[in-house]
Amino acid sequence: MESTYGPGMKVYVAVWIGLLLIVAVEVALTYARLPAPTLLGVLLALAFLEAGLGVLYFMHLRYERSSLSWSLIPAILFVLVLLNYLWPDARRLLSLHR
Amino acid sequence: MTEPQMSLAMSHGAVMEESPYGIQSRKLVMWLFIIADAATFGALLFGYGYLRVGSPDWTRPFAFSPTILNGMVMTVVLLTSSLTMLGAVGAAHAGQRDTSIRWLGVTALLGIVFAGLHLREWFKMIGEGWGFATNPMGGSVLFGATFFSITGLHLLHVVSGVIAITVIALGFRRGWLNAAHVETTGLYWHFVDLVWMFVFPLVYLMNAR
Repeated sequence: MESTYGPGMKVYVAVWIGLLLIVAVEVALTYARLPAPTLLGVLLALAFLEAGLGVLYFMHLRYERSSLSWSLIPAILFVLVLLNYLWPDARRLLSLHR
Repeated sequence: MTEPQMSLAMSHGAVMEESPYGIQSRKLVMWLFIIADAATFGALLFGYGYLRVGSPDWTRPFAFSPTILNGMVMTVVLLTSSLTMLGAVGAAHAGQRDTSIRWLGVTALLGIVFAGLHLREWFKMIGEGWGFATNPMGGSVLFGATFFSITGLHLLHVVSGVIAITVIALGFRRGWLNAAHVETTGLYWHFVDLVWMFVFPLVYLMNAR
């Protein structure tokens, strides 16, 4: 599996091991009986860390011109931030059940 | 430059201009598709969050064994398939066609294993009475609707990826596709893997008993 493209298999295997370790941490934290909002925050942070590692190394964004990152990443972040407009209405929905 | 070439360059200046991203068009198109698809999955996961926050009787049905354990195995399988895909892309760029095709085969096989594990879990849940509008535990029926929608769309991506990898491997073997096609397919496969990095914690772990 020797590669002449990108950073090479040693880096890929290191990232793969890192991703597996993060998954193990996620499962361990799930059974640490943290409050649900805390668990959600930690799991989301770890998921974004995994996504970052995958995009930078597995998808090679780190080795492309920065113009590609600047064209793509802000767009998806903008969408994800705007989707947060849902939460006040979700709380209103919950209050209707009380 | 010959006269016809000069004429072509002058009349099609914009077409001849170098890409500001320094990548081939097919790779840029795949990136644009990935960003659009990421927004789709993002909207689905936000919709799931909206319904969950708004439902006072949300169900948390997943026991460690078999569901979370099965999800962990599926995660390891999918992450490993990304590694084998990287091997395929690296070998393709190094001119090692046979090695690349072997790694593409292993990647497709791991994708099939993932889909098999997923479908086995689905059928078990359906057998227990779970569905789009049914909840055998008596809580909100929206759990089944969101669970089957999100994991179903992801499973569709995995199955599509396995088909794409098989077609690309055959084309690469016969010489009508090249290393760039393998690389572009690899981008898609890694994206499918990364989506699962959000689905597993949010849909499985957050619903563990």
